[in-house]
Amino acid sequence: MGRGGAELRHEPGGRGVNEIVLLDNEAVRALRDPAHKKHRHVIGHVLNAARRTARGLQVDVGVPTAVRVEAGWDRTAAAWAFVNRLRIADLPLGPEHADTAAGIRKRTGVSVADAHLGSAIQSAREHVTVITSDPGDVRVVAEGRRVEVVAL
Amino acid sequence: MTREEAIDRINDLLDSADPQTANTSMRIPRALRDAAALAVRELDVAPSTTILTANALRAMLEGAVVMAALELHFEQYPEARPSLADLAVAAAELDGHPLAQQPEFLRRAAGEVQQRHPDASPEDVLLWAEAVQSCATSREGAA
Repeated sequence: MGRGGAELRHEPGGRGVNEIVLLDNEAVRALRDPAHKKHRHVIGHVLNAARRTARGLQVDVGVPTAVRVEAGWDRTAAAWAFVNRLRIADLPLGPEHADTAAGIRKRTGVSVADAHLGSAIQSAREHVTVITSDPGDVRVVAEGRRVEVVAL
Repeated sequence: MTREEAIDRINDLLDSADPQTANTSMRIPRALRDAAALAVRELDVAPSTTILTANALRAMLEGAVVMAALELHFEQYPEARPSLADLAVAAAELDGHPLAQQPEFLRRAAGEVQQRHPDASPEDVLLWAEAVQSCATSREGAA
Protein backbone atom coordinates (compact mmCIF):
# COMPACT_ATOMS: atom_id res chain seq x y z
CA MET A 1 0.00 0.00 0.00
CA GLY A 2 1.44 3.30 -0.95
CA ARG A 3 1.29 6.41 1.15
CA GLY A 4 1.76 10.10 0.63
CA GLY A 5 0.67 10.40 -2.96
CA ALA A 6 0.84 6.83 -4.13
CA GLU A 7 -2.40 5.16 -5.12
CA LEU A 8 -3.53 1.90 -3.65
CA ARG A 9 -1.91 -0.95 -5.49
CA HIS A 10 -3.68 -3.68 -7.36
CA GLU A 11 -0.77 -5.82 -8.28
CA PRO A 12 -0.63 -8.68 -10.70
CA GLY A 13 0.04 -11.93 -9.00
CA GLY A 14 -3.07 -12.29 -6.94
CA ARG A 15 -2.30 -9.72 -4.27
CA GLY A 16 -5.28 -7.48 -4.81
CA VAL A 17 -6.81 -5.55 -1.97
CA ASN A 18 -9.79 -7.42 -0.50
CA GLU A 19 -11.23 -4.52 1.37
CA ILE A 20 -10.71 -0.81 1.82
CA VAL A 21 -11.57 1.35 4.79
CA LEU A 22 -11.96 5.04 3.98
CA LEU A 23 -11.73 7.80 6.55
CA ASP A 24 -13.65 11.04 6.56
CA ASN A 25 -12.49 14.30 8.10
CA GLU A 26 -13.73 13.48 11.60
CA ALA A 27 -12.21 10.00 11.52
CA VAL A 28 -8.83 11.50 10.62
CA ARG A 29 -9.09 14.03 13.44
CA ALA A 30 -10.12 11.31 15.89
CA LEU A 31 -7.17 9.18 14.85
CA ARG A 32 -4.71 11.98 15.40
CA ASP A 33 -5.97 13.18 18.77
CA PRO A 34 -5.72 10.76 21.72
CA ALA A 35 -8.11 13.00 23.63
CA HIS A 36 -10.82 12.73 20.96
CA LYS A 37 -13.78 10.74 22.26
CA LYS A 38 -13.72 8.48 19.19
CA HIS A 39 -9.94 7.96 19.11
CA ARG A 40 -10.10 4.39 20.41
CA HIS A 41 -12.94 3.52 18.04
CA VAL A 42 -10.96 4.55 14.95
CA ILE A 43 -7.79 2.97 16.34
CA GLY A 44 -9.74 -0.28 16.67
CA HIS A 45 -10.52 -0.23 12.97
CA VAL A 46 -6.92 0.47 12.01
CA LEU A 47 -5.74 -2.31 14.30
CA ASN A 48 -8.25 -4.80 12.89
CA ALA A 49 -7.21 -3.88 9.36
CA ALA A 50 -3.54 -4.43 10.24
CA ARG A 51 -4.25 -7.76 11.92
CA ARG A 52 -6.19 -9.00 8.92
CA THR A 53 -3.54 -7.77 6.50
CA ALA A 54 -0.83 -9.60 8.43
CA ARG A 55 -2.94 -12.77 8.09
CA GLY A 56 -3.13 -12.35 4.33
CA LEU A 57 -6.59 -10.76 4.16
CA GLN A 58 -5.51 -7.47 2.63
CA VAL A 59 -7.43 -4.61 4.22
CA ASP A 60 -6.17 -1.17 3.24
CA VAL A 61 -7.01 2.07 4.98
CA GLY A 62 -7.18 5.11 2.74
CA VAL A 63 -7.98 8.79 2.76
CA PRO A 64 -9.08 10.91 -0.21
CA THR A 65 -6.57 13.75 -0.45
CA ALA A 66 -9.32 16.41 -0.38
CA VAL A 67 -10.42 14.94 2.97
CA ARG A 68 -6.81 15.08 4.14
CA VAL A 69 -6.70 18.79 3.24
CA GLU A 70 -9.94 19.42 5.11
CA ALA A 71 -8.57 17.64 8.18
CA GLY A 72 -5.32 19.60 8.00
CA TRP A 73 -3.21 16.46 7.66
CA ASP A 74 0.20 17.60 6.48
CA ARG A 75 2.40 14.55 6.11
CA THR A 76 5.52 16.67 6.53
CA ALA A 77 4.41 18.05 9.91
CA ALA A 78 5.75 16.42 13.07
CA ALA A 79 2.30 16.62 14.64
CA TRP A 80 1.13 13.93 12.23
CA ALA A 81 4.04 11.53 12.76
CA PHE A 82 1.94 8.91 14.52
CA VAL A 83 -0.79 8.87 11.87
CA ASN A 84 1.86 8.82 9.12
CA ARG A 85 3.17 5.53 10.52
CA LEU A 86 -0.18 3.77 10.08
CA ARG A 87 0.22 3.19 6.34
CA ILE A 88 -2.93 5.08 5.42
CA ALA A 89 -2.89 5.54 1.67
CA ASP A 90 -3.62 8.75 -0.16
CA LEU A 91 -6.33 8.54 -2.78
CA PRO A 92 -5.33 11.42 -5.06
CA LEU A 93 -7.80 13.69 -6.79
CA GLY A 94 -6.55 12.80 -10.26
CA PRO A 95 -8.41 13.64 -13.48
CA GLU A 96 -10.78 10.66 -13.31
CA HIS A 97 -11.66 11.20 -9.65
CA ALA A 98 -12.05 14.94 -10.32
CA ASP A 99 -14.61 14.30 -13.05
CA THR A 100 -16.57 11.88 -10.89
CA ALA A 101 -16.35 14.19 -7.88
CA ALA A 102 -17.47 17.18 -9.94
CA GLY A 103 -20.54 15.24 -11.03
CA ILE A 104 -21.34 14.18 -7.46
CA ARG A 105 -20.95 17.75 -6.21
CA LYS A 106 -23.19 19.08 -8.95
CA ARG A 107 -25.90 16.50 -8.31
CA THR A 108 -25.83 16.54 -4.51
CA GLY A 109 -24.37 19.89 -3.45
CA VAL A 110 -21.90 18.32 -0.99
CA SER A 111 -18.48 19.75 -0.15
CA VAL A 112 -15.43 19.09 -2.34
CA ALA A 113 -14.03 16.71 0.28
CA ASP A 114 -17.27 14.72 0.47
CA ALA A 115 -17.50 14.63 -3.33
CA HIS A 116 -13.97 13.22 -3.46
CA LEU A 117 -14.96 10.66 -0.85
CA GLY A 118 -17.91 9.76 -3.06
CA SER A 119 -15.71 9.30 -6.11
CA ALA A 120 -13.39 7.07 -4.06
CA ILE A 121 -16.36 4.96 -2.96
CA GLN A 122 -17.79 4.71 -6.45
CA SER A 123 -14.48 3.78 -8.10
CA ALA A 124 -13.41 1.18 -5.55
CA ARG A 125 -13.19 -2.35 -6.85
CA GLU A 126 -13.24 -3.91 -3.43
CA HIS A 127 -15.58 -4.00 -0.45
CA VAL A 128 -15.73 -0.46 0.96
CA THR A 129 -16.24 0.68 4.53
CA VAL A 130 -16.35 4.36 5.43
CA ILE A 131 -15.74 5.61 8.95
CA THR A 132 -17.58 8.88 9.26
CA SER A 133 -19.32 11.30 11.56
CA ASP A 134 -21.93 11.88 8.89
CA PRO A 135 -23.43 8.60 7.63
CA GLY A 136 -26.17 10.43 5.75
CA ASP A 137 -23.71 12.33 3.58
CA VAL A 138 -21.75 9.17 2.84
CA ARG A 139 -24.88 7.41 1.58
CA VAL A 140 -25.71 10.46 -0.53
CA VAL A 141 -22.29 10.59 -2.20
CA ALA A 142 -22.20 6.81 -2.69
CA GLU A 143 -25.22 7.30 -4.99
CA GLY A 144 -26.39 3.73 -4.64
CA ARG A 145 -22.97 2.06 -4.56
CA ARG A 146 -22.93 -0.54 -1.78
CA VAL A 147 -20.90 0.71 1.16
CA GLU A 148 -20.61 -0.17 4.83
CA VAL A 149 -20.96 2.96 6.91
CA VAL A 150 -19.47 3.11 10.39
CA ALA A 151 -20.88 6.03 12.33
CA LEU A 152 -18.64 7.82 14.80
CA MET B 1 18.08 2.93 15.88
CA THR B 2 14.91 3.68 17.86
CA ARG B 3 11.71 1.75 17.24
CA GLU B 4 10.18 4.87 15.68
CA GLU B 5 13.11 5.11 13.29
CA ALA B 6 12.84 1.42 12.47
CA ILE B 7 9.11 1.76 11.75
CA ASP B 8 9.68 4.80 9.53
CA ARG B 9 12.48 3.04 7.65
CA ILE B 10 10.42 -0.12 7.13
CA ASN B 11 7.53 1.99 5.83
CA ASP B 12 9.88 3.80 3.43
CA LEU B 13 11.24 0.50 2.17
CA LEU B 14 7.75 -0.98 1.74
CA ASP B 15 6.75 2.09 -0.28
CA SER B 16 9.85 2.03 -2.43
CA ALA B 17 9.22 1.78 -6.15
CA ASP B 18 12.73 0.43 -6.68
CA PRO B 19 12.30 -2.50 -9.06
CA GLN B 20 15.71 -3.94 -8.26
CA THR B 21 15.70 -7.50 -7.04
CA ALA B 22 18.26 -9.33 -4.98
CA ASN B 23 19.22 -12.92 -4.53
CA THR B 24 19.07 -13.89 -0.88
CA SER B 25 20.76 -16.58 1.08
CA MET B 26 17.64 -17.02 3.19
CA ARG B 27 17.18 -20.63 4.17
CA ILE B 28 13.66 -22.00 4.35
CA PRO B 29 12.57 -25.56 5.04
CA ARG B 30 12.80 -27.64 1.88
CA ALA B 31 9.32 -29.04 2.40
CA LEU B 32 7.90 -25.52 2.55
CA ARG B 33 9.70 -24.57 -0.66
CA ASP B 34 8.38 -27.67 -2.38
CA ALA B 35 4.84 -27.03 -1.13
CA ALA B 36 5.02 -23.47 -2.48
CA ALA B 37 6.27 -24.67 -5.87
CA LEU B 38 3.46 -27.20 -6.05
CA ALA B 39 0.84 -24.64 -5.04
CA VAL B 40 2.03 -22.28 -7.78
CA ARG B 41 2.16 -25.01 -10.43
CA GLU B 42 -0.98 -26.95 -9.60
CA LEU B 43 -3.24 -24.56 -7.67
CA ASP B 44 -2.38 -21.34 -9.50
CA VAL B 45 -2.06 -19.39 -6.24
CA ALA B 46 0.49 -16.99 -7.78
CA PRO B 47 2.44 -16.65 -11.04
CA SER B 48 5.66 -17.84 -9.37
CA THR B 49 7.02 -18.94 -6.03
CA THR B 50 9.03 -15.72 -5.92
CA ILE B 51 5.85 -13.63 -6.21
CA LEU B 52 4.07 -15.87 -3.71
CA THR B 53 6.88 -15.45 -1.21
CA ALA B 54 7.27 -11.70 -1.77
CA ASN B 55 3.53 -11.08 -1.45
CA ALA B 56 3.25 -13.09 1.75
CA LEU B 57 6.25 -11.29 3.20
CA ARG B 58 4.89 -7.89 2.20
CA ALA B 59 1.46 -8.60 3.71
CA MET B 60 3.01 -9.70 6.98
CA LEU B 61 5.30 -6.67 7.12
CA GLU B 62 2.55 -4.19 6.20
CA GLY B 63 0.38 -5.49 9.02
CA ALA B 64 3.22 -5.88 11.50
CA VAL B 65 4.62 -2.38 11.04
CA VAL B 66 1.22 -0.80 11.71
CA MET B 67 0.74 -2.97 14.79
CA ALA B 68 4.21 -1.95 16.00
CA ALA B 69 3.34 1.74 15.51
CA LEU B 70 0.13 1.22 17.47
CA GLU B 71 1.98 -0.58 20.28
CA LEU B 72 4.28 2.44 20.61
CA HIS B 73 1.22 4.66 20.75
CA PHE B 74 -0.38 2.49 23.45
CA GLU B 75 2.76 2.75 25.57
CA GLN B 76 2.31 6.51 25.57
CA TYR B 77 -1.51 6.47 25.72
CA PRO B 78 -2.65 3.24 27.42
CA GLU B 79 -6.27 4.37 27.36
CA ALA B 80 -6.13 4.37 23.55
CA ARG B 81 -5.76 0.59 23.42
CA PRO B 82 -9.03 -0.97 22.23
CA SER B 83 -10.43 -3.80 24.34
CA LEU B 84 -11.40 -7.13 22.84
CA ALA B 85 -14.99 -5.90 22.94
CA ASP B 86 -14.04 -2.72 21.05
CA LEU B 87 -12.26 -4.80 18.42
CA ALA B 88 -15.18 -7.19 18.10
CA VAL B 89 -17.57 -4.30 17.50
CA ALA B 90 -15.15 -2.81 14.97
CA ALA B 91 -14.80 -6.16 13.22
CA ALA B 92 -18.58 -6.47 12.97
CA GLU B 93 -18.80 -2.93 11.58
CA LEU B 94 -16.05 -3.61 9.07
CA ASP B 95 -17.80 -6.73 7.83
CA GLY B 96 -21.27 -5.21 7.79
CA HIS B 97 -22.25 -7.97 10.22
CA PRO B 98 -25.81 -7.65 11.61
CA LEU B 99 -24.43 -7.88 15.15
CA ALA B 100 -22.76 -4.51 14.60
CA GLN B 101 -26.20 -3.13 15.42
CA GLN B 102 -26.05 -4.81 18.84
CA PRO B 103 -22.80 -3.53 20.35
CA GLU B 104 -23.84 -4.20 23.95
CA PHE B 105 -24.61 -7.82 23.13
CA LEU B 106 -21.18 -8.09 21.48
CA ARG B 107 -19.53 -6.54 24.51
CA ARG B 108 -21.16 -9.11 26.81
CA ALA B 109 -20.07 -11.87 24.45
CA ALA B 110 -16.50 -10.53 24.49
CA GLY B 111 -16.53 -10.64 28.30
CA GLU B 112 -17.75 -14.25 28.30
CA VAL B 113 -15.20 -15.38 25.71
CA GLN B 114 -12.31 -13.58 27.37
CA GLN B 115 -12.98 -15.27 30.72
CA ARG B 116 -12.08 -18.64 29.25
CA HIS B 117 -9.88 -17.57 26.34
CA PRO B 118 -7.77 -14.53 27.22
CA ASP B 119 -6.10 -14.59 23.79
CA ALA B 120 -9.33 -14.74 21.81
CA SER B 121 -9.58 -12.72 18.62
CA PRO B 122 -12.40 -10.33 17.68
CA GLU B 123 -13.54 -12.89 15.11
CA ASP B 124 -13.78 -15.51 17.91
CA VAL B 125 -16.12 -13.16 19.75
CA LEU B 126 -18.28 -12.66 16.66
CA LEU B 127 -18.55 -16.40 16.17
CA TRP B 128 -19.47 -16.96 19.81
CA ALA B 129 -22.03 -14.16 19.74
CA GLU B 130 -23.56 -15.58 16.60
CA ALA B 131 -23.78 -19.03 18.20
CA VAL B 132 -25.37 -17.65 21.36
CA GLN B 133 -27.91 -15.73 19.34
CA SER B 134 -28.66 -18.74 17.15
CA CYS B 135 -29.26 -20.94 20.24
CA ALA B 136 -31.55 -18.32 21.73
CA THR B 137 -33.53 -18.11 18.50
CA SER B 138 -33.84 -21.91 18.35
CA ARG B 139 -35.07 -22.07 21.94
CA GLU B 140 -37.64 -19.40 21.26
CA GLY B 141 -38.82 -21.31 18.19
CA ALA B 142 -39.16 -24.56 20.15
CA ALA B 143 -41.06 -22.93 23.01
